[in-house]
Amino acid sequence: MLGLLMAGTLMAQGAKLPEGVTLRTLDGKNVQSSVIQNDGKPVIISFWATWCGPCMLELKTIREQYDEWVEETGVKMFIVSIDDARTAARVKGVAEKQGWSDTGDDEFKHYYEVLLDSNREFATALNIGQDPPHTFVINGKGEIVWQHKGYQPGAEDELIEQVRNLLK
Amino acid sequence: MKNKRLLLSALACIVSGVAGAQGIMGGHVTGNIQLDGQMSHADSVIGAEDVPEHLKLNARADILYTNGDFSAGLRFEAYQTPLLGFNAQYTGQGIAHYFVSYKAKRISVTAGHFYEQFGSGMILRAYEDRYLGLDNALLGLNVTLRPVDGLTVKALAGKQRVYWDYGNGLVRGLDAEADLNSLVKPLSDSKLHMTLGAGFVSKYEEEESIPSAADPASRLNLPLNVGAAAVRLNIDYGHFTLQSEYARKGQDPSKINDYIYRPGEALMVNMSYSRRGLSASLQAKHIDNMGFKSVRSQAGEMLFINYLPAINKQYTYASLTMFPYVTQVNGENGLQGEVAYRFKKGTLLGGKYGTDVTLNASTIYGLDTVQVGGAGTEGYTASWLGLGQHYFTDASLEVEKKLSKKLTLTAIYCYQEFNPAVEGEEPGLYHNHIVVGDLHWRVDKKHSLHFKAEWMGSDSRYAPDEGLTDRRAGDWLMGFVEWSIGTHWFLSASDQYAYNDGTGNYPSIAVGYTQGTTRLQVGYGKQREGLLCIGGVCRPVPASNGLTFSLSTSF
Repeated sequence: MLGLLMAGTLMAQGAKLPEGVTLRTLDGKNVQSSVIQNDGKPVIISFWATWCGPCMLELKTIREQYDEWVEETGVKMFIVSIDDARTAARVKGVAEKQGWSDTGDDEFKHYYEVLLDSNREFATALNIGQDPPHTFVINGKGEIVWQHKGYQPGAEDELIEQVRNLLK
Repeated sequence: MKNKRLLLSALACIVSGVAGAQGIMGGHVTGNIQLDGQMSHADSVIGAEDVPEHLKLNARADILYTNGDFSAGLRFEAYQTPLLGFNAQYTGQGIAHYFVSYKAKRISVTAGHFYEQFGSGMILRAYEDRYLGLDNALLGLNVTLRPVDGLTVKALAGKQRVYWDYGNGLVRGLDAEADLNSLVKPLSDSKLHMTLGAGFVSKYEEEESIPSAADPASRLNLPLNVGAAAVRLNIDYGHFTLQSEYARKGQDPSKINDYIYRPGEALMVNMSYSRRGLSASLQAKHIDNMGFKSVRSQAGEMLFINYLPAINKQYTYASLTMFPYVTQVNGENGLQGEVAYRFKKGTLLGGKYGTDVTLNASTIYGLDTVQVGGAGTEGYTASWLGLGQHYFTDASLEVEKKLSKKLTLTAIYCYQEFNPAVEGEEPGLYHNHIVVGDLHWRVDKKHSLHFKAEWMGSDSRYAPDEGLTDRRAGDWLMGFVEWSIGTHWFLSASDQYAYNDGTGNYPSIAVGYTQGTTRLQVGYGKQREGLLCIGGVCRPVPASNGLTFSLSTSF
């Protein structure tokens, strides 16, 4: 059974990222999921929530290396919060305090793009259950080439390795 | 039975059909599967009952076909029999959810089942929570138009799912949201971002016979159509943000408000300031008779049209969520404030890596009401800012400190006051002191350890002889250790021990394996009876004692 499931995992590689799903930016604007792109260069999407411990750990860990990742690979990381009405108002504060979104200071060179998916419409379209984190690597054509559920320390090394593979 | 077999073979056909079509029609098949199982045997100390069928199983599979702007999907669900704590009405299997959808730049249309939210959800939120066993998907039609950049208009109509059936009430809704910076040219470069929105929801239900409280011989003249409207404003100016929404609901006599005719009202305001290293926020909420269901005679967690989340901070530690606050849809006034600050690295308090300190406090009261009658009357009067029964207060201090490259420590102290009346129990007030220590230790490149130690001291008591039957009561010690091996394996062990009231000892162990998007987890041990809450919506979970497993994958 497990083998079948894993074969299934391979089946969908290459699926396109949905483009017409409505997401929200930190300043309250509606945008469509087609904004998730990087001019032909790789993209990482990480689903997270303010109440999710492993997500916070993952995003903090990657923050420490993100400037180097961008310089090396040109990758752009979109972090999509699935916080619902209870905690969605916290997302901006967390992202700005942690140095995940650009607030105009120059502590870091590069920042994540933060989007909100309050009713999990985008998460559902990408077949993510309710448990973040869930991470995707998207190639320059907007195709999903790799995805991973959960976060255990060290998973960030696998993630950037997948991005590097795209550049080979 | 025949029906079910038909559905099953239809599912098999569709799955193999679309899977075969992958590539041929240029589209893609994706999906996810989740299986949760539970075996439990009786344990009188913790109150676990025997499971005569030995195995309880929840299973689901979502299959989604996407081709350009077009998509179609279905979900198969099986509860044979439902896990402990899930409503017995879920027993059964079949296709619970199906839709076809077209989503393009200017228009999105979904026919079939759909989820949707207007604003913060105060008048409408159709959503699913698989762990709470809650699904109020609408079956009908949902249209979103974006005629120009910056304007979104949504229109929908449908009936709500309730277990394996649909509520009789018909839900219709219309919502518009304008992003003023995109619509108004002179504002396009402004630092001030403004979003304005307004929504209207109406439900229609047939007449039924409900006796009036004043004169049981006469019947209530029930409104067949009930409307609710909301306006919202979101302002963003540099580091400052204001989010606000105000909602009103017409006369809506229902089982949850004891068939009173008082209109409903709610206000939510959130103000925040944030910059690098600092965030501060203040949130206020007023709810007055805002429970809004598509079937007036239904109590319970299903068939809600709207969503009113709890205002207190959402924690994930077991001790901090032992007494979770449940939103009082009939009325509450609440306030929450938080300040989070980072002491920079290299400073006295920041040390080598910086130190994060978070202060949070919230308090929630019932409305100060004056009763004027029962079913068939206005019910009560209440002032806006008056405070009635005290429901909940908490105040916490959290310090997070990276001690070295390998060690991160988090410590929390929280004081909490909890009134069991919010769960429908006898009013009272528990006073709890909670201390949490959490340590992440990255041993080397392949191994990491996560420790948690929690203590709760409470003046609540468990004494069944005196009628005090809350098994969460008393003083607790909890421990947890998790060992991650590489990025695939983890092993964990935990214990929760009520050390002076005899409500039990809850040891458990678990092992998990993750490969890509597939995750298998097996656990064995005792599970405390309690409330499982997500976003202020809760489900009671009975005690259990035995094996649990969970397998999930997405593709």
